[in-house]
Amino acid sequence: MPRSTSRPAALAVPILLVAGLAACSSPATEPLADDAAPSAAQGVAEAAPALDARSEVTGFENVVVSTDWLAEHLDDDKVAVIEVSVDPGLYERGHVPGAVNFPWHTAFVDTVTRDVVPPERFTELAQEAGIDKDSTVVLYGDSNNWFAAWGAWVFTLYGHDDVRLVDGGRGAWESEGRELELAAPTPARGTFEAAQADPALRAFLPEVVEVATGDREATLVDIRGAAEFNGEIFAPEGVQELSIRAGHVPGAVNVPWVEAVDEDGKFKSVEELRALYAEAGVDGSAPIITYCRIGERASHTWFVLNKILGYDAKLYDGSWTEYGNAVGVPVTNPAGTVWGGV
Amino acid sequence: MSAPPAVGRTARAAAPHAPSAPSGPRPWTRADTVRTTLAAVVVVGLLVLAAWLHTSPWGPRGGVSLLVGTALGIAFERGRFCFWCIFREGIEDRNTRGAYPLLVALAVGATGYALVLGLFLPDPHAGRLPPEAHVGPVGWPLVLAGLVFGLGMALSGGCVSAHLYRLGQGHTRAVPALVGVLLGFGVGFATWNAIYLAGVSRAPTPWLPAWLGYGGALAVTLGVLALLAALLLRHAPPLRAREHAPMTLPKVRDAIVRWRWSAGVTGTVVGLAGVFAYLRVEPLGVTSQLGSASRTALAGTGLLPERLTGLDTLAGCATAVVQTLTENGWLVIGLVVASFAAALAGGRFRPTRLTARGASSALLGGVLLGWGAMTALGCTVGVLLSGISAFAVSGWVFAASCLAGVWAGIRLRVHRLT
Repeated sequence: MPRSTSRPAALAVPILLVAGLAACSSPATEPLADDAAPSAAQGVAEAAPALDARSEVTGFENVVVSTDWLAEHLDDDKVAVIEVSVDPGLYERGHVPGAVNFPWHTAFVDTVTRDVVPPERFTELAQEAGIDKDSTVVLYGDSNNWFAAWGAWVFTLYGHDDVRLVDGGRGAWESEGRELELAAPTPARGTFEAAQADPALRAFLPEVVEVATGDREATLVDIRGAAEFNGEIFAPEGVQELSIRAGHVPGAVNVPWVEAVDEDGKFKSVEELRALYAEAGVDGSAPIITYCRIGERASHTWFVLNKILGYDAKLYDGSWTEYGNAVGVPVTNPAGTVWGGV
Repeated sequence: MSAPPAVGRTARAAAPHAPSAPSGPRPWTRADTVRTTLAAVVVVGLLVLAAWLHTSPWGPRGGVSLLVGTALGIAFERGRFCFWCIFREGIEDRNTRGAYPLLVALAVGATGYALVLGLFLPDPHAGRLPPEAHVGPVGWPLVLAGLVFGLGMALSGGCVSAHLYRLGQGHTRAVPALVGVLLGFGVGFATWNAIYLAGVSRAPTPWLPAWLGYGGALAVTLGVLALLAALLLRHAPPLRAREHAPMTLPKVRDAIVRWRWSAGVTGTVVGLAGVFAYLRVEPLGVTSQLGSASRTALAGTGLLPERLTGLDTLAGCATAVVQTLTENGWLVIGLVVASFAAALAGGRFRPTRLTARGASSALLGGVLLGWGAMTALGCTVGVLLSGISAFAVSGWVFAASCLAGVWAGIRLRVHRLT
């Protein structure tokens, strides 16, 4: 299994050229010569240069691991396994042997300001978990790996280039009857240091508004269910994260996250994924921004587009709870649902 | 067969309203064999159901919950583990015998919890609370809830878990009491938001291991329990004389099925059940399903506030709007059915006559129980048993105020309104 290590940027060109030649199927991939200069503009006339959000390491085998692979590599010192589950007590009552717990409420987010975890704190957590610069970080979790995908995004955001998800997450590991461990491991301190957050991987509200008004070219992928996308409901029943307006960002396409996985929660094949998104007009020819309601499920789709398919995709983590509550931004509300029920 | 002198006492203690047994052991009849076999079949049925649950959508958590409920139902019924009876006997009859199963259960539970907590949360000083353990906020709402709960215990003749296991014994007064509990939860939901903002949102959640570590917290807890055991000793009845006769199979059978289980056995089973529950599923509690049923029933009526503020940030017997049976539901089912089996085997299943006065006092008492359980985020099992085992100060505070409420109820003689 090819693993990435930190290499000088110069080597990125031949590697990506070879990878591009090897990826035979889709005609939709862009010529890879542009990737040599990650900060080059994408040829769209605009005020700020668009940053290329393609990860260095992409391709299904490089970013998704099977439960078999994980079972074989449990004792591998270079593999750091992390659980990111949202249900309390799940990790404590049994986790993949050697996995370290990253409770997403506190490890991947700032608990006071709505933001990603600050880099200093993230460095501390990663080092305590025994993660080195050249470790292979393997994440898994409950809820179809939603929160593990968010964790993968944060690791990538802070500069770690070998980040993978376990296909099927916790559910697959448990349903295959594999061993669980109770004790929390105490790994030796790691050497990973969070780099500056990569702005190419993250979209903020102003950029999304520019896309909505047509001042910036990008494809917005809304991964929520159709009822939310169409504005019929503000949020599913019982959810507390509401917005004052319903609908979606103008111009966004709706590809619910669930379409990227099979019934057992495992990712569909690369060909199926390419076809799925191509049908919605997402083929990698334009930069992609994914969003959902609070931003963490959208990281699941971000992972598919950016890591598996190798497209230029970034996450808008403010998502609908920010956009749908922002004053004066353009909104498309097909169902016409009005806040207050009038 | 020589007569163990405890028969009369056991018979009177077995069912408060049943006639006392004649002196001398009642001979084992064929009817007893039939009942006991039937009871065994029921218990085996529960075990089979638990095995099936493992493969059902409820999964292992559902199966374990049913098993824990079964163990509790048997232990409660066989050991007469009823908080109301314990408190009443101590206060009114000056007989503290009933306290010992409770003290043992707390000691065993605390020891087991210390082991499990050391696994779940190796560093108790880090400022985090252990996942899902019933460490609750301590403030005037908890004290008030305990007082009201205690009054409800006196009025209805039992706490929630007691009504559940007495239901299995055929105690018809438990029915209006449990209906009252559901209504009381509804009232509790209505008052929750105001109480949360006034007294819960900023209340501390003191947890002993955060200051003392697990060893220190366990030492303090066991020390307090030992002190209580010593203090209550003077009002404990004298030990019965041991017979010098060989142990025979019929004696073992009688010990299991007929005579009241000892404090040590009862307390150990209850304590272990609590530890197993926390290790595999969630801390022991009996009000989660009931409260959820109440909340679900009221959800469509407009009588319920739309959101119960802060509830999802607090640990306790959580209530939610649910469509089906929860794991806690299986625990309650196991409790009631297993208690029925245990009562049946010993000939203690006797449907009691229900008077209008008894039913109304039980209903009103149940409303107080429900309100108290909702506001305290649990009842004597969820807050007292699981809280003290988890080294939560809230467990002790609830225990004290609940006892005070019971005492007040006895003083007001509300428990005579049957």
